[in-house]
Amino acid sequence: MMKQLWKILCVMGVLAASAQNANANQVVADLSLDEVAITTDFNGQNLLLFGAVAANTDMQSTSENENDIIVVFTGPVQPLASRRKERVSGIWINRETVNWKNAPSFYHILSSRPVADIASDQLQADLKIGYRHLGLRAAEPLADGQNVRDWQDALYRNMTGKGLWRTEEDAVKIMRNALFRASVDLPANIVPGDYQVRILNLRDGRLVSEDMREITVQKTGISAFIYRFAHDYAIFYGLFAVFFAVASGWLASAAFRRS
Amino acid sequence: MYIYLPIAEVSLHIAIIIGLGGGVGFLSGMFGVGGGFLMTPLLIFLGVPAPVAVSTEANQIVASSVSGVLAHWRRNNVDFLMGFILLCGGIVGSSFGVFLFSVLRDIGQIDLVIKLSYVVFLGIIGSLMLMESVRAILRTRQPGARRGKLHQHNWLHGLPFKVRFRKSKLYISALLPFMIAAFVGVLSAIMGVGGGFILVPAMIYILGMPTAVVIGTSLFQIIFVTANITLLQSVQTQTVDFVLAGLLLFGAVIGAQFGARVGVLLKGEQLRGLLALMVLGLSIKLGIDLIITPDDLFSAEFIR
Repeated sequence: MMKQLWKILCVMGVLAASAQNANANQVVADLSLDEVAITTDFNGQNLLLFGAVAANTDMQSTSENENDIIVVFTGPVQPLASRRKERVSGIWINRETVNWKNAPSFYHILSSRPVADIASDQLQADLKIGYRHLGLRAAEPLADGQNVRDWQDALYRNMTGKGLWRTEEDAVKIMRNALFRASVDLPANIVPGDYQVRILNLRDGRLVSEDMREITVQKTGISAFIYRFAHDYAIFYGLFAVFFAVASGWLASAAFRRS
Repeated sequence: MYIYLPIAEVSLHIAIIIGLGGGVGFLSGMFGVGGGFLMTPLLIFLGVPAPVAVSTEANQIVASSVSGVLAHWRRNNVDFLMGFILLCGGIVGSSFGVFLFSVLRDIGQIDLVIKLSYVVFLGIIGSLMLMESVRAILRTRQPGARRGKLHQHNWLHGLPFKVRFRKSKLYISALLPFMIAAFVGVLSAIMGVGGGFILVPAMIYILGMPTAVVIGTSLFQIIFVTANITLLQSVQTQTVDFVLAGLLLFGAVIGAQFGARVGVLLKGEQLRGLLALMVLGLSIKLGIDLIITPDDLFSAEFIR
């Protein structure tokens, strides 16, 4: 934690200095961690994203051209299945399935103002901001009467329910029109892999500059060991699990027999 | 303190896991049942993926059955020949059940089948137990009522491969226990239970075994069936979370000791009546969940 804080302070100092004499219209940002470790006591991780944009040095500046920031946090692609229930003789049963092959397992969008106020629909589409602009396609052609838009919206609802997808407006705080920060919650059910963070700086509805960061989420320590053991040596894992159970059952019986 | 379960890939508070193990262990010690039928739905309810809940619970039942069977073995209450035939059937049935489980999972119907199995079998067993215990309670109030004959032979007992089971004082076809155990094995693999709640009544009422050897013998065969499920699920689906199993077990061992002490204070028919109400309640709750309109008709899940 101290290390994390120290890093933030250092980078903040550099950012503040560079922001003051920056001529290039460049946004720079970093995260409080380069790597998220899923350890035995992992229960999600809060990340701090912070950075600076070049303050608008244009003398003719009006109140119109405030800086806006949109952060797009994308996780590794993982195959997903969406299912739709229907009532069959009184019982709700999954009847239709849509498989997604190119959906990100994690997709958080954080912005300094509602995205719709910052960028036009066309710009959102060009910059691939928002789940509707991800080009989510069903693996198999949809059946008659199925609307891909409905399924995309449902996927967004379901994934938001899991905390894996989210749109947070006003989540990026901009200070003195130059420094900004945002906090990102990685939930405990996060998928390990490489995560990409795009930081977009917009002004007057145009993209001014952008920065990119990457962060790795991986299992480490005992939980990684158990996971690898279970997957790479499945038969030995199974035998061990049975042996462990038999031994502890016997132990329990022996322990309480005496008392 | 939260603990990240490496296979389930969810994070749960350690007190909740041990408390759940302890609570279910208490009830299983009190009623003398395995508790899988309570543990598996509760794990799913806590957010553990259904396949992980079922496989992990099988692993835990191995342990609780071992410690249970040792006590019955010491009292010489295990019919090993009957147990052997049951476990042969159980291994065939549970292997098929594990296969069926992965097929149902791939087509997205596993949650439905788990819930339906619970509703149907808990409903039937719960109702039968409730009627039986009410009758027993009424009978104790009217002393002098005659007990029925121990068991009656029917055509099922006369199938080929007749075997003499000395400890159970039976001379019946080995096919019958084999088929019963195979059927229960399938349910075991799908529902994440030991299957004692079906096997025990079947052994008493269909096979006609003496009550004294039924529990020990069924526990004996449950060890092998659940060990088989643990192994097969480990190899095929990697869904056995032994960290979760170990923590549940820790709670269950302690809970069962307290439960057993409370259990001796209550009368047998009262205990069975209470258990029947609990089983029926769970069945009704799961049944209602299947009928009421869900908040969102859509659901999403990661697939392999």
